[in-house]
Amino acid sequence: MNLHKSLSPLTPSSKFKALLMLLIGLSIFSSCEKVIDLDLENAEPKIVIEGNVSDQLENQYVRISKTIPFSTNNTFNGFKGAKVTLSTTSGSSINFAEVSDGLYKSQQFKGIPGTKYKLEVLADGKVYTAESTMPFPVVPDSIGFKKLNFFGNTTIYPTVFYKDPANIQNQYRYILKINNKFQSDIVFEDRFNDGNEVSDIIIYDGDDIKSGDTIDIEMQSIDRKVFKYYFAISQIDGNGGPPVAPANPDSNFNNGALGIFSAYTKSSISVILK
Amino acid sequence: MHLIKSFLISITFLFVFSANSLAQESYTINGVVRDSLSGETLIGVSLKFNGKTQVGTSTNAYGFFSYKLNSGTYDLSVSYVGYKTILKKVTISADTKLDLNMVSDNLIDEIVISAEKRNDNVVNAQMGFAKINLSEIRNVPVLFGERDILKTLQLLPGIKSAGEGNSGFYVRGGSTDQNLILLDEAPVYNASHLLGFFSTFNSDAIKDVSVFKGGMPAQYGGRLSSVLDIRMNDGNKKEYTAEGGIGLISSRLKLEGPIVKDKGSFMISGRRTYADAFLAFSGDSSIKNNTLYFYDLNAKANYQIDDKNTLYLSGYFGRDELGLSETFGFGWGNTTATLRWNHLYSNRLFSNTSLIYSNYNYVIENFLEENNFKVNSSIRDFNLKQDFQLALNNSHNIRFGVDLIQHTISPGDITASQTSSVNEVTVEKRRGNEIAAYISDEWEMNDRINVVYGLRASSFFLLGPGSFSNYDQDGNILSTKTYSSGDLVKTYINLEPRVSLSYQINPFSSFKSSYTRNTQNLHLMSNSTAGSPTDLYIMSSNNVRPEIADQVALGYFRNLKDDNYEFSAEVYYKQMQGQIEYRSGTDLRGNRNVEADLLFGDGRAYGIELFFKKRFGKINGWIGYTLSKTERQFNDINNGKWFFAKQDRTHDLSLVGIYKASERWTFSSTFVYNTGNAVTFPAGKYQLNGNTVFYYPERNSNRMPDYHRLDFSATLEGKPGKKLQSSWSFGVYNLYNRKNAYSIDFRDDPDDKSRTQAVRTTLFGIIPSITWNFKF
Repeated sequence: MNLHKSLSPLTPSSKFKALLMLLIGLSIFSSCEKVIDLDLENAEPKIVIEGNVSDQLENQYVRISKTIPFSTNNTFNGFKGAKVTLSTTSGSSINFAEVSDGLYKSQQFKGIPGTKYKLEVLADGKVYTAESTMPFPVVPDSIGFKKLNFFGNTTIYPTVFYKDPANIQNQYRYILKINNKFQSDIVFEDRFNDGNEVSDIIIYDGDDIKSGDTIDIEMQSIDRKVFKYYFAISQIDGNGGPPVAPANPDSNFNNGALGIFSAYTKSSISVILK
Repeated sequence: MHLIKSFLISITFLFVFSANSLAQESYTINGVVRDSLSGETLIGVSLKFNGKTQVGTSTNAYGFFSYKLNSGTYDLSVSYVGYKTILKKVTISADTKLDLNMVSDNLIDEIVISAEKRNDNVVNAQMGFAKINLSEIRNVPVLFGERDILKTLQLLPGIKSAGEGNSGFYVRGGSTDQNLILLDEAPVYNASHLLGFFSTFNSDAIKDVSVFKGGMPAQYGGRLSSVLDIRMNDGNKKEYTAEGGIGLISSRLKLEGPIVKDKGSFMISGRRTYADAFLAFSGDSSIKNNTLYFYDLNAKANYQIDDKNTLYLSGYFGRDELGLSETFGFGWGNTTATLRWNHLYSNRLFSNTSLIYSNYNYVIENFLEENNFKVNSSIRDFNLKQDFQLALNNSHNIRFGVDLIQHTISPGDITASQTSSVNEVTVEKRRGNEIAAYISDEWEMNDRINVVYGLRASSFFLLGPGSFSNYDQDGNILSTKTYSSGDLVKTYINLEPRVSLSYQINPFSSFKSSYTRNTQNLHLMSNSTAGSPTDLYIMSSNNVRPEIADQVALGYFRNLKDDNYEFSAEVYYKQMQGQIEYRSGTDLRGNRNVEADLLFGDGRAYGIELFFKKRFGKINGWIGYTLSKTERQFNDINNGKWFFAKQDRTHDLSLVGIYKASERWTFSSTFVYNTGNAVTFPAGKYQLNGNTVFYYPERNSNRMPDYHRLDFSATLEGKPGKKLQSSWSFGVYNLYNRKNAYSIDFRDDPDDKSRTQAVRTTLFGIIPSITWNFKF
């Protein structure tokens, strides 16, 4: 996972690692990093479900896989033959069809903000369900760039400007691509800037932005549980304070499935840095 | 009201015992024992009266002693480590006042951990107790040559370092916030500098360090695992002196002297690091303008008004400042102040009244214009302690008193400028009062059996104003009730019995046992792998119950070869209730509903601690070994199964050797070994939106690699007899450059995203240090 660092309000200690680096770099501490061989145990494969419903008229996808051992290559270990159904509280339902190993596709449809969706997955004789309520959309006004200086290195970070709706708890997720290459997946909330003109600076560890680069940002409005899920993953990397003891993030699926089901709204914005 | 009531109870105690003691017929001898040169009172001096039988006592934390004797003539022997023993004939035919001055033995070729009479460790009922001698702290090698009480403490069995170079410590399976750290009676909420690499205690200013791992006497309360009682120097009553040191990391200076000769004195001691001085050498302004330093200031003054009244005023102020030039500032620190009044109501009733203030706060500032803000968070205590020590008769020493604390926690107010996108946020302050009354009796039942038994009644009152919510299983608010100022929101009352007993088999061996209950109403929220200055304290509340620990311990104590060697074996079992963790994904910062995300569970810890020490001689030192297990159980973690706590270390070994090679050269070395911490490693992985996420089936079921390290130091004292005495200390930390793992992280291989890898971070390789110390 990418390092989810953020400079959003009240994430000062997100730079805890950076501060540690400062200590390490500037005094005579002889800190070093080394890749080591660890004999990790291999747990029984576990089911992972990543379900999505957006507010765009498009095919919606659910990805179902099983966990793989740490030592193997990073592959998507798709799970075949699951039965995937999406329903709303009003009773309408849509079945997803398997298009390739582990990838399940719906017909084109548009999710409706404010609707509570329920995803049901039947796999290995077990039923896993999760619910997510699609938030109302918030769209970016523009993308800007911010030069920040850490220890003498000046780096350009993209900044998303938008108006946060007042008196509503909002959560946002950004997916950043530079020249169509994935860079970062990061979540924010409006706990400290509710109702304001907000500028979220996306701090990431990836390719530096240069002039002429195309920057694509997908801004999602996500529900609270989805936010907490991604925030928990980022905390392991030291976002929001010193790294926490690692644990699985709380999934909104029952029956012990890993992963998350998110009903979200999205809007994309793209700029070329001059 | 509660204050008054408790006070009345304690007064009643006073009368009961006074009345009782009037019935006795014999005489009292009392007085104060001091250092002959500096006038500094001496703590824990042993006094033995040899008459028809041999009886004895020792001085309290203010150098005071009181003892009841039948009339007659006694050979008094007064002994204290590092001082020449006083032998004196005393005739008791009336109540007698006897102040004693002890002459420092400059040729201390011994180093001892306990400044007690030679077999006090065997005879005394107290167990789970250790004292650290300051000469020991001077000689034991440490990181960067910064003498450090807390790191020397970690070399004792049962006390474990919270991490590489870390001044945080775990005692018998407890977490770092379960240690009550007192500096001149004031609680210190964050005892570390620079993210834990240094402790806040500047050893120049320290006179006495005692630690209780179990069997805490009833006058201490409020934390589950241990009490670390640190006393500052009073200051030289006879003459002005200065001492200090220049080291790689910091410089120190201490001044002390009389205010009125033989009546009052002062001590002021400061320390500042200068890591940021190196920044100035950088040509780059963005590096130059970063800040990174800490400082400490200790000050104390005392004045003896008359034979019966002495006043002490002491304070500590320390701060860390970190800053990234244009973006970010971060500062934190403790402030404590203690005003004490020692009063002798009679020659057998010693009273100490303390007024204490303690404050810990941190400030974070973000200077970026669009979203600038400032966070200010603090925990503040006002504390009144009234303690009485009554030498009832030869076999009973009674101690009783009250302890009233008012806590105020400001979790973090956010302020921001008009142009900032950050809203100003106020997270409600929390106020709570702790009121405790205690009584204990140190009873010499007979020649063989000593008992210390007591009871501490502690109460906690959570007070308004504020809104207090109840939450459901998922952390959603069920109901919120608003209270106005002074309204009682929640009350907890706990009785904490404390018993320690020793059975002396012969003058050099004994069995001891103890049972202790402790409770805790302030809880530190931290699920991070290392402590952070921004860790949050919360109080017991409508959602959070007090933490409770019950500990039983058994021990065998044996001295060998005329008390030159000391051996002890202690086993303990500790059960803890109300332990706190929080759900994954919980953000503590500026969070009004932290309590919604808490999980409560139980803990248990047990182990055996072996300690063998050569106390005297040219070569001395000790071996400490602990075999232990520490576990936690939470219904919502690890499927409700017991798991290893992060402080679990199966084996923990410390070796300390000190060799005084000559008048001027002292060499010392330490070796530590411990099983790696219990940690969680992934046992699988999966892809989520093209990113790798790790799968953790069980909590803390893995181990970090074993930790071991050898340190060495050499001290060269200047030629004796000069006005300016100086010494050089040379040290090497991690002599064989062991790459101990500070952390192991998992990530995609940056060069091949299709692979994942484990990365070990090592903090300190071999590190030499040099310090120059002086005194005049």
